[in-house]
Amino acid sequence: MTSNEDSQLDELFRTYRAACPDVEPSANFMPRLWQKIEGRHSFWFVFQRLARTTMTACAALCLLLLVLNFVAAPEKRLTPATYIDALMADHSVEKTYYTEAIRATPSPEDGAPAR
Amino acid sequence: MLVEQELIERARAGDATAFNKVVLAYRKRILGTISRLIGRPEDVEDVAQEVFVRLYYSLDQLRSAEVFEPWLYRLTVNASYDYLRRAKRRNESRMADLSEQQVMMADSLAGAREQTEERQKTEVREFMDALFQHVSEEDRLLLTLKEVEGLSLKELERIYGVNENALKVRLFRARQRVLKAHKAAVADGRM
Repeated sequence: MTSNEDSQLDELFRTYRAACPDVEPSANFMPRLWQKIEGRHSFWFVFQRLARTTMTACAALCLLLLVLNFVAAPEKRLTPATYIDALMADHSVEKTYYTEAIRATPSPEDGAPAR
Repeated sequence: MLVEQELIERARAGDATAFNKVVLAYRKRILGTISRLIGRPEDVEDVAQEVFVRLYYSLDQLRSAEVFEPWLYRLTVNASYDYLRRAKRRNESRMADLSEQQVMMADSLAGAREQTEERQKTEVREFMDALFQHVSEEDRLLLTLKEVEGLSLKELERIYGVNENALKVRLFRARQRVLKAHKAAVADGRM
C-alpha cells in the first residue's frame, strides 16, 4: 500500500470524525438512566434473593443428609483400626474364593474327583 | 479527569448524588465517543445509558479513582461492541449492501453541491460503516479509538490491558483490511 492511499484513508477518518458530531443528551437522559438503574436493581434484588434462598436450602439439605447418614448406619462409618487390618479383611475374602475354585477342579494325582 | 477523585470515591461508596454528578460530567464525552464508535446517532443515547448503568453496578470493583477514565472507556467499548454484535445479527447483509452504498456515496459526491450537509455526513458515516464491515467488531472499535478518537497507544494499552506491541499488530492488520476495501472502492470509481 502506498503512502498516498494511507493519507487518503487518514483523510477519510478525519471526515468520518467530522461527520459524527458530539451528540447532545436529550432532556430525558438522566430520568431514563435512573429508571434503567432502578429496573436492573429490582431484577438483581430478586435474583440475589432467589440465589440466597436456594443456597440456604441446599446447605440445609446437605446438613440433613449428613446427619441422616450418621444416624442411620453408625457401625458402617467405623473404619478398621489399622490399614493392615483392612488388608487382612480384604485378603480373607479373596483366599476363600480361590480355595473354592481349587476344590472344584479334580486333580489327576488324586485319582478321584474332589466331590 | 473531568471530576475530582473524591467525587468518584463517594460514588463508589454508593452516594447517588455523587454518581449523578459523575454522569453529568462525562455523558457528553461518552455520547460523542459512542457516536463515532457505532456510527448510528439514533442509538447513541441508549448505548450511553447502558454504559452508565454498567458503571453504576461495577463501580465497587474499581481499584482506585485514578483508573476511572480507562475503566469508563472500557465499559464504553464493551457496550458499543455488544451493540454492534446485536446490530450485525439483525442485519447480516451489510457486506452485500456495500456496493450499493458505495454507488450511493459516489452519486452523492458527484452531486455534492446539491446535497445538504447533513445528508453528506450521513453518507460518509454509511460509507465508513460499509468499510468497517471488512474488519471484526473488536478491530472496528480499536481502529476507531485510535484513528478517529485519537487515543494514544498508551491509553489504549490501559483500556484494553493488552501489550502495546500486540495492539500495534492488531491495528496494522485492521488498517490494512480497511485500506484494501477503500482501495477497491476507489478503483471501481465508486468514490
